[in-house]
Amino acid sequence: MKRTSLSAWLLPMLAISLAACYPRERVEPQPEPIPAEIDGWAPVYSKDADLTVIKSMPPQNIVKGGKIYIKGDTLYQVESGKGIHVILIKQPANPQKVAFISVTGAQELAVKNATLYTNNLNDLVVLDITRVDSVKLADRISNVFKMVDATRPPGTGYYECVDKSKGTVVGWEQKLLKYPKCRN
Amino acid sequence: MKKLLFIIFSASLFITSCDKDSSTSADKTTASSNTGQGGSLARFTTAADHMYIVDDRKLYTYSLLDEKRPQLKGSIDVGFSIETIYTYKDKLFIGSSSAMYIYSISNPAQPTKLGQATHVRACDPVIANDSIAYVTVRGGTRCGGTQNALMVYDVKYITQPLLRKTVNMESPYGLGMTGNRLYVCNGSNGLNVYDITDPINPVLKKQLAGDTFYDVIIIDDLMVAMIEGGTALYELKANDEISLAAKIVN
Repeated sequence: MKRTSLSAWLLPMLAISLAACYPRERVEPQPEPIPAEIDGWAPVYSKDADLTVIKSMPPQNIVKGGKIYIKGDTLYQVESGKGIHVILIKQPANPQKVAFISVTGAQELAVKNATLYTNNLNDLVVLDITRVDSVKLADRISNVFKMVDATRPPGTGYYECVDKSKGTVVGWEQKLLKYPKCRN
Repeated sequence: MKKLLFIIFSASLFITSCDKDSSTSADKTTASSNTGQGGSLARFTTAADHMYIVDDRKLYTYSLLDEKRPQLKGSIDVGFSIETIYTYKDKLFIGSSSAMYIYSISNPAQPTKLGQATHVRACDPVIANDSIAYVTVRGGTRCGGTQNALMVYDVKYITQPLLRKTVNMESPYGLGMTGNRLYVCNGSNGLNVYDITDPINPVLKKQLAGDTFYDVIIIDDLMVAMIEGGTALYELKANDEISLAAKIVN
């Protein structure tokens, strides 16, 4: 009998004390109204079936030029998220684009002899560039980087929510957003 | 060229505040070296037949003795919110959002921590020599806080950098140097050229306008600039003449 009355006391007490936590957790700062227009982040999508394919292509236009790297008479410029432009600058007044190496997610690179290191999204890839018009994948080390988080942008603030029907998120870009619903 | 090393401290990976479309940086290199120049957001760097890779917390060391097959040699916990890595001589500098960690790579396969400098902010640094470093900070970014400036540090005691001079600028990005000249990208405000004969007191000699400059690599008398939309090549001539050789913007 005594036992029963104890638990009869304890259970409601426990319930009350637990419940007491709830309001506290639910107290949120007043949500700010979603801005009609604000600078923020938007996902960059790719619909390519295989994002790991790396291949040489004919020279391409520089659209979003990234990091540059010089080795000997060759200038390499990252095309942000897309690959690497290979440009001969032996005659600075007459630079020659000779190839484009398509590498999804590429952001940076290093070159040692005839070996080029870059990132294919979050993998470190090692390319044999003996012939830039037909580079060969020599090695791949998976998930070395955390370059691309497919769920949220690399910075704080508002961002365009990810819509998986648009493809795989291969990067993020800054953009003027309208009524963004997601925030980092 | 040998004196040259500059790096980009980029806060994040795609066009972000701090690395607005990224940039460049030249690694120290010599004519006999088989590694080229590069840098930027620098999640990795190569030195002494090794590759050093950082993620947000750790440093990974890979041997490139077989350059086609990097071999993991080890990993070290460094800190939090690591953003960039670069090398100068036998040291690794690992920048986080709040501190600079310094490691020795005298034994390249096994980096060892020398110390750390806190409260040092830098968007882009260039280490001039064993006692002077120039860094840029840019307002409104994680690397800059509220300031837009070129800063001169005494780095004789590398873990205790001393700020010696602040030169206000509009929107400084990457920088490079050769001889007694320092070239500092000033974003949409062009490129500034400083006389650094007195290293602690950069004197503005020239401003190059017309393009948005993010970073430069200087090799002898060739200056390769990362500009909005692509790359520009310049010849550096006597009397601070900077002559455009070509632009690659499409």
